[in-house]
Amino acid sequence: MSDPLRALIVDDEELARGLLRELLAERGDVEVVGEAANGFEAVKACAELRPDVVFLDIQMPKLSGFEVLELLEPRPAVVFVTAYDEHALRAFEVNAVDYLLKPFPSERLAAAIARAAERVRRREELPAGPLAAAARSGQPIERVLLREESGVVILPVEQIDWVEARDDSVCFHAAGRKHRKTQTLGEVEAQLDRQRFVRIHRSVLLNVARLQRLEPYAKDSWVAILGSGARLPVSRAGRKRLEELLGAL
Amino acid sequence: MHPILADRRRLALYLGAWVPIAALLAGLLTVGMRSPWPESTALALPLAALAAFLSLAAWYPVRALPPERTGFGRLIGAVGVGALLSSALWIGLGLGWASLLGRVPGLETAPQVFAAALPLLFAVGLLLFLLAVAVHYLLAAIARAHEAERRALAAQVHAREAELRALKAQLDPHFLFNSLNSVAALAGSDPRAARRMCLLLAGFLRKSLSLGAQELVPLSEELYLAETYLAIEQVRFGDRLRVETHVDEDAQSLAVPPLLLQPLLENAIRHGIAHRLEGGTIELAVRRRGGELDVLVRNPCDGDRPAAASTGVGLRNVRGRLEALYGHRAAVATHEEGGEYQVQIVLPAEPAA
Repeated sequence: MSDPLRALIVDDEELARGLLRELLAERGDVEVVGEAANGFEAVKACAELRPDVVFLDIQMPKLSGFEVLELLEPRPAVVFVTAYDEHALRAFEVNAVDYLLKPFPSERLAAAIARAAERVRRREELPAGPLAAAARSGQPIERVLLREESGVVILPVEQIDWVEARDDSVCFHAAGRKHRKTQTLGEVEAQLDRQRFVRIHRSVLLNVARLQRLEPYAKDSWVAILGSGARLPVSRAGRKRLEELLGAL
Repeated sequence: MHPILADRRRLALYLGAWVPIAALLAGLLTVGMRSPWPESTALALPLAALAAFLSLAAWYPVRALPPERTGFGRLIGAVGVGALLSSALWIGLGLGWASLLGRVPGLETAPQVFAAALPLLFAVGLLLFLLAVAVHYLLAAIARAHEAERRALAAQVHAREAELRALKAQLDPHFLFNSLNSVAALAGSDPRAARRMCLLLAGFLRKSLSLGAQELVPLSEELYLAETYLAIEQVRFGDRLRVETHVDEDAQSLAVPPLLLQPLLENAIRHGIAHRLEGGTIELAVRRRGGELDVLVRNPCDGDRPAAASTGVGLRNVRGRLEALYGHRAAVATHEEGGEYQVQIVLPAEPAA
């Protein structure tokens, strides 16, 4: 027999955690390595314990289950456990292993564990792409979640000045500070409100509320001057997109 | 649409009814006018078919002059004029047909027979039209009765649907699923607590069904329901959910709409306590102030939370019900400041029946 699956239980309800702990203890193939009562603890526990599978509640204080998932790196196999059936489609989009509806019978849990074990056995790492797809299917996001040295940082989108593409990541510029995140600029663009954020250049996504004026730079290129004095490149296509949103410039 | 033409079965029945009339007419001509059979039949059948067609026109005066809204004189006049016109038209067309028949060998006497029977036929035409008017009035009355019945039924269904919708809107199904999950958890670790939770749930459901069926209930009953609800949620949230209640003793017997407090408490938990890592205390205060009953629910909330998450369907529902019950005599006000959210409801202090 193979090694037991290492599991983390994340739920803000003590009783719900207890039920999972009890049901998992009855089986020999899963070892519960930790528990978390909220999203922050979950992100921390995942980084420290590196579980194979996370049983993740969706409705939790501060960070929802989906937000927690976005912050997990590397991504373990995730089984959502919730009383809400309306998130099932989204769970599928973010490549969750399974979606358990509370209360669930132990047979249902066994099926979820079997699927998680299968995924772990094949060492399937989930692509980051599906997260952006999930964002596209819903409303634009209201806040950006970042993992930094100090822990999880919640950045409300209205605080973002602009977003810049780097080699393998993006950099959020907000209130004079920079926040790095492993994501493509296209994904960020898809998540943010198109009425507020415009791709003014291949590598720059601008919060239009920060734009003060536009100056010509060379043939077919301009410079956007922000309220803070920052200067950003604007391409021909970018200028066209700005004009579509704001009218003639 | 014409009630006879609109329905194939009715049309067949109507045309069928004209067969004996046609036979009667032929018999009348043969016996009364001593006309030979071939002439009588050749005259009576088309005349009956024509009358069947003309009688359908009786629908239009019937529709234009509903008996309950038309003066008697006007009704008689209109129907009389209709009968005269219809009968005259019938006789006129019959005359043409008779003269056509007169050219057919063997039926040469048809015009004479028709001319002799003219006064009689005119009278028959009048009678047929009056009969047609009576039949159409009868049909219209039947249709109205059906419509009234249908509407009464629809109103009943609407009322029942509204009741169910109200109850469904009040009761968040996730509350039930989460509570059942708690029962499942306790069944293993603490069977006594599981039993208590089952009893609380049963008590809550039974009470909300029985109270929900009434328009107004005593505040004491509504408070019992609210306390049961909070006790269930406290099992789920543990010490993250704390409650402080103050109720004026002389308010206990006042009338309130049922399931008034529960949606407010549910909002306080779902949009307040549940979003806070450390939980918090819900304050529930019910006070009597002269002629008014003042209900206040206050809870801490998480300032980081996007504003969209805090709009409650439950509150909108409460507002709508209070407005329907009390109009401008009731008010709902919400206020958020410094990480605290509160809902205040003021309604007239009226004793419960």
